[in-house]
Amino acid sequence: MPARFPVITGLGIVSAAGFGTEEVWRAVAAGASGLKPLTLFQSPRYGQIVTGEIQRDLIDAGAPTRSSRSDKLGWLAAREAIADAKINFQNCGDRVGIILGTSVGGSYDSERFLAALIKQGKMRPRPTRFHECSSTVDLIADSFGLFGPSMAIATACSSSALAIAQAAEMIMSGEADVMLTGGADSMSRMTWGGFHSLLLVDSAGCRPFDATRGGMSHGEGAAILVLESEENARRRGAKILARLSGWGMSCDAYHATAPHPQGAGATAAIQSALRRAGLEPAAIDYVNAHGTGTRDNDVAEAIALKTVFHNRVPPFSSTKRIFGHALAASGAMEAVVCVEALRHQQLPPNPGFSKCDPAIGLEPVTEMRHAPLTHVMSNSFGFGGNNGVLIFSKPETTPRTRAPKKIQVTIGGIGVIGPGAVTMKEITAPLPPGKGPVHSCGVLKDAAMLTPNQRRRLSRLQQMAIITARHSHTPDPAQRVAIAIGTGLGCLEDAGTFIENLVAKDEREPMPTRFPNSVHNSPAGQVAIDQVAHGMNSAPTAGETTFESALWQGICQLATDEADHALVGAADEMDKYLLSIGQRWGAWNETIMPGEGAVVVSLAGAEKIASPLARVTMLKLGRYRKPFDAQIEAEWIAAAVDLTKVEVLLSGAKGFRQLEPRYQAVAAALSKLAGRTLEHQTYKQLCGEFHSASAFGFSVAVSLAHEKNCGVLLYTLSQRGAKAACLIEP
Amino acid sequence: MQISTHDLKAKIIESLKLQDITPEQIDDDAPLFGTGLGLDSIDALELVVLLEKDYGIVIKDIEEGRPAFRSVKTLAEFIAAKRPQ
Repeated sequence: MPARFPVITGLGIVSAAGFGTEEVWRAVAAGASGLKPLTLFQSPRYGQIVTGEIQRDLIDAGAPTRSSRSDKLGWLAAREAIADAKINFQNCGDRVGIILGTSVGGSYDSERFLAALIKQGKMRPRPTRFHECSSTVDLIADSFGLFGPSMAIATACSSSALAIAQAAEMIMSGEADVMLTGGADSMSRMTWGGFHSLLLVDSAGCRPFDATRGGMSHGEGAAILVLESEENARRRGAKILARLSGWGMSCDAYHATAPHPQGAGATAAIQSALRRAGLEPAAIDYVNAHGTGTRDNDVAEAIALKTVFHNRVPPFSSTKRIFGHALAASGAMEAVVCVEALRHQQLPPNPGFSKCDPAIGLEPVTEMRHAPLTHVMSNSFGFGGNNGVLIFSKPETTPRTRAPKKIQVTIGGIGVIGPGAVTMKEITAPLPPGKGPVHSCGVLKDAAMLTPNQRRRLSRLQQMAIITARHSHTPDPAQRVAIAIGTGLGCLEDAGTFIENLVAKDEREPMPTRFPNSVHNSPAGQVAIDQVAHGMNSAPTAGETTFESALWQGICQLATDEADHALVGAADEMDKYLLSIGQRWGAWNETIMPGEGAVVVSLAGAEKIASPLARVTMLKLGRYRKPFDAQIEAEWIAAAVDLTKVEVLLSGAKGFRQLEPRYQAVAAALSKLAGRTLEHQTYKQLCGEFHSASAFGFSVAVSLAHEKNCGVLLYTLSQRGAKAACLIEP
Repeated sequence: MQISTHDLKAKIIESLKLQDITPEQIDDDAPLFGTGLGLDSIDALELVVLLEKDYGIVIKDIEEGRPAFRSVKTLAEFIAAKRPQ
C-alpha cells in the first residue's frame, strides 16, 4: 500500500481573541493579550480575574441550540473548517471520520443541574443531556453527515494533540480519507475551581516563561482541522495548507499534576515526533510551546527543549496569553497558529514575557518577525504527565512519515472487575447477579495490591483500572508500554463531589485531591505510574464504543512500532447523580440494570506472547445512518470481515431498549448474508448497562472464542451514532 | 500563641486520610514531604486548605508555605506566627 501522507486542507477556530482563522492570526500577530474579566459565572471567592472567555452572543449565533457550550464552540469551528476546505461529504460514504480532544465536555451545562439540585433541591436533569465528552463529536458528525470512525480523546490539556495524532493514524492506515480533527472545551466552574484549588492561576493573567510568572489563565475555544490523505486532496484539487509530518506521544508516569522536573516525558514525545517525521532536531524552525505560565511547566519544558536541541533551541513562543489556556482545545488552536505561521512565514510572539528567568535560561520570541519556516512544532502537555507533540511542514516538502505495518494482534492477559464487586453495595438500585467470565475481582478484595498512597488518594475508578491492569500485565521496565484506557463518563464520584463542594461552600475549602482525579485520563495516567509505562497514554471516550476506540489506539501503537505492549481498556463507575438521573428518565428497570466496572487487556505482536488467550483479527469503527438500516450495517460488517470465520455474534443487546431491536435486526441480516444462522449472544444481562460494557463484552468474546474454538464477532452500537465491529479468533 | 503539635498531627492525619498511623508515630521534626510520610505537592495543597479552614490562614502562593511544610514543628510555628488573633 502506498503511504498516505496526511495534509491539512481546512482550518476553523473560535477563541477569545477572535472568530475565524484570519481574525485570530491578526490577534496573534499583534501579540496582545486576549484576556478579559470573567463574566460567564459568579465566582464568590476569586472574583472577576482575567480569562479567555468568549462572548456569549457570538457563540449563540448560528450554532445548534440543543447542545452544550463546548458543543457550540466545536460546531462553529467545524463549519468554518469545512467551508475553508471546500469539501462536500455527500459522496464520501464512510470515508470521513472525526476525532476531537475534549476534556470539559458539557460540564458547564451540567453544573447548572447540580447547582439547582444542591441550592434549591430541584431535580432538573435536562442540561446533563450533553454532558459526555463525546457529545461534540456526535453533534458535528450528525450535523455534517460523517459516517467514518468517530471518537473523542480526553487527556486534559494534551487532548487535541493526541486527537490530531490519532486522526493522522486513521489516514495513514487507510481507515479514512478525510478526518475532521482538533478540539473544543468551554470554561466551567469545575476547571475554574480546580486550577484555583491547585494554586495554579495567575490573577494578573498568565506570563509564560517570564521570571515573574505566577500561573495559568483559564480560556475556552475550539479549533478544527480538515486532515486528508494527500492523494485525496490532490484528486479533488484541494488547496493544501500544510502537511502534518510528525506526531509523538509519551507519558511522564511521574505524578498526577506535576510535570517530570527534568521534562523527561516532554523530551521523549518531541523525539518520537521527530523520529516519525524522519527529521533531525536542526530541521525545526519554530516551536509553539505549551508554555502555560506555571512555574513548573515552563521550567520542565525549557529543559526538554535544551535536551533535544542542545544549544540551538529554535525560536519558540507560547500563545497562551492570547487565548487563555483552552485546555483540551489548546493543542488544536495552537496547531492553527503553527499552520498560519508556516503560511505567512512569520514567528508568533509570546505576550506576557519581559524578563528572563535564570531557571529557564531561554527567551521566547517577543515580537512578530519574518523568518523562513519549513518545519514547525507544537507542544501540548497535560495532567498525568500526558504529552503530545505535532510537527507541521510546508506543503512543498517531501514527506518521510513512517507508515504502519500489518501485525498479528495477540491477547496476553485480561483483568476484569465486573458486577458483584463489594463496593457495588453502595448503590441502592438493583444490580445484576452475574460475575465476570474470565477474571472477576472486587476492589476491596484486591485492595491489598494497592500501595497506601493509592488507597488513600485514588477513588474507585482509578483503583479499578490499576487492579485490572495488574491482572492483565506484569510490569517490565525493559518493554515499551502504551496505554489507552477509555471511559464513557469518567470519574463521576470525584467530579460530582468536587462540584457539589464548590457550590455548597461558595468555593471555600476546595478539594485539590479530587480535581486531578476527576479528569477522564486519571485512570490511564495512574496505571502508567503503577506500570512505569512511558509510551502513549490515551483516554478515548465514545459512548458505548469507548472500549473499541481504546483498542484501536493500542493496536495502532503496536503497528507503528511505538510500543512492545499495549494495555487497552475501559472503566466506568456509577454514582448517585447518574443513578438518580437514570431513574428520573426511566432508564433502569427489571431488565436494564445500572452497571459499572473496568477491563484492561494486554496486547502485543504474536512473537511477544508465549501463551496467547486469543487474537484480534479485525477491528472497524464507524457511524451508523439514521434512520437505522440493518441491511446497510450487515453489509458494512461483511465488507470488513470474512463471514465464514464467524460462529458467534456477540452484542450489547439486553441493555437500553432503543438498541435492542437494532441488534436483533443486524443479527438476522448478517445470518442471511452468511447463508447460515449465526449464533447471537448478549452480555449486558451479565454486567448491566454502562458505557464501558463492551469491554466486558470483549472479555466474554475472548472466553467464547477460547471455549468454542471459533471466531466471535463483537458488535457494538452507541446510542449517539458510533458503531464498532471486532473479530476475536482463537 | 502555641499550637499543640499533637492536635495538628491529628488534623493532618484526618485531612490527608493517612492510614494506619497515629499522631504518636509522627516525629515533630521529621520531614513531612518526600521521604518522611511520603507526601507530595497535592498533599501540600490539602494542608493549605486545612490552614485556611481551621486557622484562618490564607496561602495564595505555595512557595509561601514551603518553609512551613518542612515538618510538624515548623508548621506549628508558622501557624502560631500567622494566625489571626
